[in-house]
Order: sequence, then structure tokens, then C-alpha cells
Amino acid sequence: MIGFVRNRVLLPVVGVLTVLAVWEATVVFYRLPPIVLPSPWAVAATLADLVGTYAFWRDVAVSLYEFVAGYAIGVVLGVAVGLLIGEWRVFRLTVTPVVESLRFIVPFAWIPLTILWFGTSFTGKIVLVAYAVFFVMVVSTARAIAHVEPTLTRVGTMLGMGPWQLALRVHLRAAAPTLASAARAAAAIGWIAVVAAEYIGASAGLGLMITNAATSLATPVVIAGMIVIGLIGAGVSALIGWLARRQLVDR
Amino acid sequence: MSAGDLVLDRVFHHYFSAGRRVDVLNDVSFRVGAGSVACVVGPSGCGKSTLLGLAAGLLRPAGGSLTWDDAAVRMGPNQHLGMAFQQPGLFPWMTVRQNVAIGLSTRGRSRRDARAIADEFLDTVGLSEFKDAYPSHLSGGMAQRVGIARALALKPRLLLLDEPFAAVDAFTRLKLQQEFKSLLRLNRPTVVFVTHDVPEAIALGDVIVVMTQRPATVQRIIPVAREDRDRASPAYGRKLAETLECLGVKSENEES
Amino acid sequence: MVAVAEATAATPRAPRLGPHATAWILGSLGALLALAAWTLLSQWLATGGGVINRLPPPAKVARELVQYAAGDLGRDLAFSLRVFVIGWLVGAASATVCGLLLGRVAWAGRIFLPIVEAIRPVSSIAWVPLSVVWFGFGLTSKIFLVALAVFLVVIVYAVDGSRRIPADLARTATMLGMNGWQRFRSLILPGTLTEVLIGSRVALMAGWGTVIVAELVAADSGLGAHLIAVQQSYDVPDVMATMACFGVAGLLMNALFSALERRLVPWRHDSGDVAQ
Repeated sequence: MIGFVRNRVLLPVVGVLTVLAVWEATVVFYRLPPIVLPSPWAVAATLADLVGTYAFWRDVAVSLYEFVAGYAIGVVLGVAVGLLIGEWRVFRLTVTPVVESLRFIVPFAWIPLTILWFGTSFTGKIVLVAYAVFFVMVVSTARAIAHVEPTLTRVGTMLGMGPWQLALRVHLRAAAPTLASAARAAAAIGWIAVVAAEYIGASAGLGLMITNAATSLATPVVIAGMIVIGLIGAGVSALIGWLARRQLVDR
Repeated sequence: MSAGDLVLDRVFHHYFSAGRRVDVLNDVSFRVGAGSVACVVGPSGCGKSTLLGLAAGLLRPAGGSLTWDDAAVRMGPNQHLGMAFQQPGLFPWMTVRQNVAIGLSTRGRSRRDARAIADEFLDTVGLSEFKDAYPSHLSGGMAQRVGIARALALKPRLLLLDEPFAAVDAFTRLKLQQEFKSLLRLNRPTVVFVTHDVPEAIALGDVIVVMTQRPATVQRIIPVAREDRDRASPAYGRKLAETLECLGVKSENEES
Repeated sequence: MVAVAEATAATPRAPRLGPHATAWILGSLGALLALAAWTLLSQWLATGGGVINRLPPPAKVARELVQYAAGDLGRDLAFSLRVFVIGWLVGAASATVCGLLLGRVAWAGRIFLPIVEAIRPVSSIAWVPLSVVWFGFGLTSKIFLVALAVFLVVIVYAVDGSRRIPADLARTATMLGMNGWQRFRSLILPGTLTEVLIGSRVALMAGWGTVIVAELVAADSGLGAHLIAVQQSYDVPDVMATMACFGVAGLLMNALFSALERRLVPWRHDSGDVAQ
């Protein structure tokens, strides 16, 4: 119990306080102007201000909306296609070269193309996130299905399950823990893809907000924005992890 | 009258690994009469598991035929069959009871019936207090017993077991052998029992099928009579020696 | 009750098409189908149906690619690679040093590792605007971002490696009477560097992806800059060609690095990663 409190609560708090202290000290000691590095207090104050504005919440809502929509599409499609690849050998062999070639074109590289096709609308970002998430989930699902313990498949067949039943009731369930981790990783990537896309071409959103702030050298806003982005990213990841744990119960 | 008989007739099997053909079974033939227990023994990796896979319809033989009930063994799920594998193969997301019941419901029983029958069999193997536990909480031996309970609950006419007691310590194994024999008395299925433990084969089998090394063929078929099972009897010793000799293990006084 | 049939040979079935041949045939089929679908789609869209306009057929993109390759590709690629390599080296090196520190010095680790853990998920992409404020749009800014991305990935491996000394090796070292510095050089450093190597490959795609984002934002030189330029002139074939170049470059680097890893660290196999 003591160890738990010490390691999970006390030390991280000490760590954070140390960082804040060092931060503040650096600002004061080097007499850094706020444009370069604002003090923690300035950032906190800015954050408090932002939270009171409509524009901030609109930007948060826009980014979240783009992310959630793209993520949902990407996960569903990704798992479905991944399942097909894992279950059906012919499909896997046919589709793999295409998937492997596209894998190296990082989602960020698609940003300009989505802007050309969809402009700065939400659709473009949703498509981008869906693409990024899809890829992560397809690869993980296919791999997880391939690694299901063979005995489970034999048991299922022996018990009378046909290929569809095996795929959905046995393979997918057995792969579920791996898919849950992949879903978290995919969320991290998807969220960052939204932010990056908003740097390049957007009419609203957190990415746009901090880019504008950077252009006008409003550093406290930039840092406040980064913190918000980080917090939302962490929050989403934790949420998905929690949901996954609830679904999978204790094993 | 060959209902309930399992017949292997000149069965060949191979598979491909890294482009090369690996012969596993080479002209295997034997018959297991209805209600009798055939124990298959042989060196490790000689293809005993493949044999069971073929008999279960999980694999298609490269040559020869397998016959059950005078009809060719069908690929895919088979209603007459119950099988226990080397790994217990319990679904980790289901409780013990659900694991035993699932086979019954996929084979058409109602959920309620399935649960009741599952409970019954778990009682019989002495695991009723673990009904609601998850497989990760069970020891290897316990998990194996659940696997066997699952196979038996299907009340199969053909029961295939792949070294089911291999992962268990020697004492538990003896206890499980006793349990198993009494369970067989309930339904008298035709049984093929793969084991590497010769005393176990003598204890459980009506017949011992000795296989050679890969590519495996039947080396000898040794019948086991009631007297042979008494460990204190000379008949047991002779049967043991005969089987071990077949497997290439010389008896003590031949060593010089 | 048991009979043995006469032993006569039966012919097993002749083998079907070997596994490799099937993979090649189906794979090529898949690629061809994809290209065909692409071409058809571009035809259909050109006649004015659908949301996406301007989808050039694969042939056009290929032509554009060849043109680019003969032209500015070399220069742009050189710029991007320069940013990437420098940033990667800086990131890996600092991650090694910090990893050793945080891994071996107990109090430093306890205090700072949680912070690193907290920052890690905040991808380097989030730092782009701050980097612009600090360093402007130039080379330094881009290198900083790449270094940060690589650092965040490799640090975990470095910490892990610095701590992972097999107990028996440690005991052997004690028995041989090695002093601190010798232990460091023969045990800790190689272990750490091994892990750093593996982590660096994992960080490859994170780093390369960061290069492109940095160049998209800064838009002064490199593949990313070219990408933005052609996007702004609505030259879709060129955009797609540039994307392809980016992908091929990433693929080649990955292959190169995997081969290197297999040579240098054959006993550790890190199978393909899923996500960064």
C-alpha cells in the first residue's frame, strides 16, 4: 500500500513539481521573455482564460468530432477487413501487397491530398483519421487472428462450429485483448493525425488554434494548447482502455 | 456388424514445410471395435496426433481411408465425436461451466439443458466448485479435466484423446486414469487414446497400437487382457516388457 | 477384434501448386485488380460523378513520378534525408544518454521517468507550433522535431536496455573483479546500445513521418515542401507521385535498417511493429 502510494502518486507529483520548479527557475534565471518561454503561471492563467471563451470550446468540439467520426469508421472497417484477411487465405494473399505498399505512406503524407479533394471541411479530416486508424487495426487484427492458439480452432470445429462461427465466436474473442491494445494505439495516431491535418488546412480546430497562436507568437496559448491536446489524447486513450477492460472482464 | 467401429485402411499422410514434403503416416491400418479402447503409443513426434486429427475429420488423409460406422469420416464438425486435445483448449473468456456447456449448445441443445448437463459432468470429474472460475485460474491438470469433461458431456460414440494426462504429475495421473475408466463405463464409446506412457496404455487399453518412428506405420497390435492390468502380476510385467521392446527399450537384464 | 490389412503401398495425392507460387500469383492479381479499379474510378470520376474530382489514372501518376525522379526528386530527397538523419542521430544519442541516466541512477529515474511517460504519448507533432516559435521555419526547427520524436520512442528502449543485465553476467563480472567503469563498458553500455538499435528502427517511421509534417508546415525545402507546393498548384498527379516517393523512401530505409539489425543483433527479433 505504501509502495503503491509512493510510486504511483507521490513520486509523479514530485516529478511534476520538480519540472514546474525547473521551468519557473529557468524563466526567472535566464530572464526569458514570455514569447520564448512563459512561466507556468502565465500558461495556467492563459488556460483559464481560454476555457472561458466560446472559440476554444468550438475548436475542441471540432477536433473531437473529426476524430471520433474517423476513429469509429476506421475501427469498424479495420477489424472487419482484418478479420477477412486473417480467416481467408486467398483474400490475404491477394490483398497483402497492396496493403504493404500503402503502409509506408504515412497518414501525414495524405494531408495535402485530402485538402485537394475535400478542402478544409470536416470530411477531409474524418477520411484521414479513418485511413490512419484503419491501417493500424487491419494489420493488428490480421496478425492477432493468425496468432490465435490453434487448439482453440480445433476445439471449435470439434464442437460443431462452422467457419463463420469460428471466426466470430472464437477467433475474434481470442484476439480481443490484442485488439484492445491496438485500438488504443490507433486512437493516439488518429488524434495526432487530426491535429496535424489542422496545421495544414482547417477552418477550425485545436491544430489551427495553436498554429495561429504560433504565428502571432502567443506562446502561452501555444503551450496551453499543447497541454490540452496532450490531455485529450491521454483521456481518449484511457477511455478506450477502460472500455476494453470492462468488455473483456477479468481473465 | 461394424456400427461403432473405427477403421483405418492404408492411411497415408504428409504435409509441406518450407517447400519440402514431410511424410507423417505411412500405410497405417487398424480397426477399433465398438466400445473398445485402443491406446496408441509411439515415439515422440511420430504422428499420433495427426492420426487423431484424421479420425476426427479435422484433416483430410493424403491417401487411404478412415471409416466410422461403415461410412467415410467426414471433414469438419462431426456429431458423433468428442475429442480432448493435448492443450486443454478452454476458451479463456468463458467460465468452466460455459466451456463445458458450449459444445452442447452448438450441437443443438437448449441453453438450460446444456448448463444442466455441464454441471452434471463437472460434478462427475470433481470440479463443481470451480464451475464459475475462469480457465486462467485453473492448474494444468484441472484444465485438462475440464477439457475431458467437455468431450464426455457430448456423450460421444467416438472419443479421441491426445495425451490428455501428459501435463499432469504422476500421482494425479493415476487418479485421473481411475476416474476415466469409471466414466467410460457410463456410455461405452469407442475410444482412441494417444499416450506416451506405457503403463497408462496397459491400464486403460483393450488393445495397444504400437507405432514406429516417422513416417509412422503400425508396428504391432498388442491385446491387453484383464489379468495384465494387475500391476502386481507377472502378466503385467510381461505385457510391459513386450510393449517396451516394441518401442526399442531393452529390458534390464539385457544390458551388459 | 483388431485386424491389420496387408501392407501395400497406396499413392498419396500429388501436391497442389506450391505455396510460394500461389502467393505470387494472388499477390500480383491483387495489385493488378487494385490498379484496374483505380483506373476505372478515375475514368468514372472524370465524367463528373462523385465527391472526389481530379483522380488521375495510375499511368499519369507513374509518368509524373518518372518526371519528378529525373528532375528535382534527388534534391528534395537529399534535403529531407538530411533533416531526418541528423534529427535521428541527435534523438537516439540523447535518448541513450538520458536512458542510461534514468535507468541506472535510481532517484533520477524515479523522479523523471513518470514525466517522460506522461510526455511520450503527446506526439512530437504537438510540438510543431512551439518549435516554430522557438526556431522559426528553418532547419533547426525540423531537426528538433525529428529528434524529439525519435527521443520519445527510443528512451524507453534505452532505459530498458540499461537495466537489463542478465543476472549471471553480473555475477561473472563481480567474480572477475570488474570495477564500475569496466562493468559499464562491458555490460551496461552494450546492452543499452542493443536496445537503442532496436528502438531506433521502431522510431524510424515516427521520425520519417515527423519530417514530412515539419516540412509541410515549414514548406521551405524537401519532399514535404514539394508536396505542399504541388498541392497549392492543384497538381494532383504530382501530389500522388510525391506521396509515392515518400512511401518508397520509407520502405527502403526500413528494409535497410532491418537488414542492419539482423546483422548486428541477430539474437533479438523484433517483428514488425504496428503503430508508433
